[in-house]
Amino acid sequence: MENLLLVIIFLPLLTALGIKIISNLVNELLLNFLTINSALLSFATACGMFGLLLTDKFKPIHLELFTWIPSPEILFEFTLDGLSGIMMLLVTGLSVVIQIFSTSYMSKDENYSKYFIYFNVFVFSMLLLVMSGNFLVMFFGWELVGLSSYLLISFWSKKQSAAKAGNKAFILNRIGDFGFLVGLMLTLNTFGTFNYEKVFSEVLNGNRESLSIIVICFIIGAFGKSAQFPLFSWLPDAMEGPTPASALIHAATMVTAGVFMLVRISPILQFSETGKLIIITAGLLTALIAAFSAINQDDIKKVLAYSTISQLGFMFIAIGSGAYVAAIFHLVTHAFFKALLFLGAGAVIHEMHHEQNIHKMGNLKTKMPITAAMMGIGTLAISGIPPLAGFWSKDEILASTFANGGFYYGYWALSLLAAFMTAFYMGRHWLLIFHKETGNDISEVHEAPKAMVRPLIVLGIFSFFIGFINTPFFHGLEKVLEETLHYVDITHLPEGITLIILAVVSIGAGFTGLLLAYLIYIVDILAYFKVKIPLKEEIKELSSNTLYLNKFGEVIFVKGMKSFSRKTAVVVDGLLIDGLVNKISSLFYNSSQKVSKSQNGLVRSYVVYFGFFMLLLIGLFIATPWVSN
Amino acid sequence: MLELLLFAVPAGLVILGALIVIFAKNPVHNSMGLVLTLASLAIIYITLNATFVAMVQMLVYAGAVMTLFLFVIMMIGVDKPEQTREEIKGQTLLVSGTLFILIGLVSFIVVNSGFKWDLYFPAVEYSLEGTPDLIAASLFTEWVLPFEIISLLLIVATAAAIALAYDTKVRKPK
Amino acid sequence: MIEVSTDWYLTLAAILFSIGFLGMMIRKNALIMFMCIELMLNSVNLTFITASKHFGTIEGQISVFFVLVVAAAEVVVGLAIIVSIFKKQSSASVDLLRTSRG
Repeated sequence: MENLLLVIIFLPLLTALGIKIISNLVNELLLNFLTINSALLSFATACGMFGLLLTDKFKPIHLELFTWIPSPEILFEFTLDGLSGIMMLLVTGLSVVIQIFSTSYMSKDENYSKYFIYFNVFVFSMLLLVMSGNFLVMFFGWELVGLSSYLLISFWSKKQSAAKAGNKAFILNRIGDFGFLVGLMLTLNTFGTFNYEKVFSEVLNGNRESLSIIVICFIIGAFGKSAQFPLFSWLPDAMEGPTPASALIHAATMVTAGVFMLVRISPILQFSETGKLIIITAGLLTALIAAFSAINQDDIKKVLAYSTISQLGFMFIAIGSGAYVAAIFHLVTHAFFKALLFLGAGAVIHEMHHEQNIHKMGNLKTKMPITAAMMGIGTLAISGIPPLAGFWSKDEILASTFANGGFYYGYWALSLLAAFMTAFYMGRHWLLIFHKETGNDISEVHEAPKAMVRPLIVLGIFSFFIGFINTPFFHGLEKVLEETLHYVDITHLPEGITLIILAVVSIGAGFTGLLLAYLIYIVDILAYFKVKIPLKEEIKELSSNTLYLNKFGEVIFVKGMKSFSRKTAVVVDGLLIDGLVNKISSLFYNSSQKVSKSQNGLVRSYVVYFGFFMLLLIGLFIATPWVSN
Repeated sequence: MLELLLFAVPAGLVILGALIVIFAKNPVHNSMGLVLTLASLAIIYITLNATFVAMVQMLVYAGAVMTLFLFVIMMIGVDKPEQTREEIKGQTLLVSGTLFILIGLVSFIVVNSGFKWDLYFPAVEYSLEGTPDLIAASLFTEWVLPFEIISLLLIVATAAAIALAYDTKVRKPK
Repeated sequence: MIEVSTDWYLTLAAILFSIGFLGMMIRKNALIMFMCIELMLNSVNLTFITASKHFGTIEGQISVFFVLVVAAAEVVVGLAIIVSIFKKQSSASVDLLRTSRG
């Protein structure tokens, strides 16, 4: 029965290979048939396996394929438990929906088959990552996911900006991967195995040496993959890729790999206070910086990109405060409404003939009502308006942070600020695209084709209702994750009146944000009351340029590295190393010139040399007994 | 007393002859010095009971070899005195260095062995006479192979000498 | 009474050898260098005879035989070479033979 796991994981890979083989022979229709059916099959099997898991109270199912490395023993193994089950369902399900959307979005593209090959490779690697049974298989998936992301970002590789964006994504990812790799090595060194259960049981039994360093290394890995401060600047640039790919990768799955990984190692993480502090601080910083930058973005997708970074920051805040269930919950809900938002943006872009500047849109709700409605649901969800999904998950995060007490109150307050900003910029986003009467020419625009709209509707429904899997009344997700997080110290929600007050406060923040967006951008209240916000232009500039962090990074790191490497090439390599080698060779040359002068062809010199050195030798023989005494 | 004298006088002559060989200016004087050395050495051989060898030495060395030397000296006609100025760079230094080391070594050994001369000839029972029959008994039985080889060597040497000194120009028919 | 012992003879041979060697280093004339070689060979002969008397075997004297013969042959060939060299360059100095310099 556990061999069905192989079907789920390897079917996308086989599909990718199949598409590669038959790509030149078939037309788009047959290709669609192949890829969507394989995705459906994967999803169905995943549902089946999850059902199996459900009936067995989420006891983990293991599958060992083969012994990869004999000593120390490392197997190629998979584990299906509550955590990986949820991720598995998410990845396969979203894969179906987004592939259906892609068949319409990417049609008539000259590299149609290549897109689906890369897509399926990505799904395969993500499944490998989440269903891994040990750290090494996870790393395998981790790297492949980074690769697929790179391939998909620079999909339209003839565009200079796309290629650069792909490079940037891969390189920043790599920096994180370095941390992950060091963490892997330390794990093997400390525990002698990569298997999750063995490592966790070791730690729980008290073997906690070098735990902080291992945790910090893995955290660095998570930062790279999940675009946290300071490794986040690749995600906005990654919008160069096709929108459905962005929907899957940079909204729902790849960027959540870091969150997943940290929850997976939560049995270890819970013992490292330093690690948790780093996570929560970085998460908060990220959430705030990204939210601030999203306020004044002009590109429809960039707003969503910054929004993703910000929401990932929220997930990290959850992990940092010990609310692992809340983090996963937010991961799931965010996957749905962010995928929805991205696909909706994709529909808009498609209909606006690849115009992406939101100021050139406006009042699209009259032309694209269904899209507008679905995007509206997404916006409400992300702002945390009940009873939509986002409210439950975001509120749980905020409440758990509050429940920790002490300096966590400060974190709570700032998280609330970030939530407020989220509502604000998302409101602005939706209003400027769909509601505001701008006078731009939208006569050509009509509703998106069915293959695009239907996935939107599906995701919209999910975004509405998925929140109910883990309310304070029904802890569904918590039950799912109970077996996985059995030995982990989870922060629970506060009880009673505190919870209600917190909920009201966060709803209020959401509403205020949306209201403010409406007032400023639609009603133009600032001009009405002649309120002059000081430094308005400067704030706008700061926001658009991500607080100039990108420029900072470019100057310090890129230019710095370039000049450093130039200096190294010239000075160290040219002068020192080459110089050293040259000096040695010239030393030999000169000394041999000098020594060869002793070969003067004269008998008498040779006789003298002979006698001289013979005497020396004899002297050595005679003197040795005395010396060794 | 007699023994001492019998050693000291030929030894002194040997050394005198050697010094003449290396320090004389006229090549003929050098050869004479060498003859002196060889003759004195023969006397020493006799005192060491190697009578046959002494005679052979006189015959072959002092008789044939030195004659040959003198022939060549006369033929070459070396009358120009040699330049005494050393022309090779560093030669003087090296030579004096060698001498220094030599003297140093010798004095080192002498001092360290405590000025003792402890190598003595064995008692009279082991003494042997270097008579021809004794030498022949060993030479023609045990050492016959080297004997044959050196006779071959002599033939080869003669042939080589002729070949080297043969002047083809002289033999051109007029 | 001072006894003449093996040591004395060996010392004599050593001195003779050194003088021969010194001569080889100093003199430029080929013939005289040859004579110095003869000195060295003779010192070796003396050592052999001394050893023969010291150990009471006849082998030493037989070795002297061989050395003698070889020395004679060597003189023959060597002088022939010197003669032919002298024909080419009218001086007998070995310092002029520098063709195999490095």
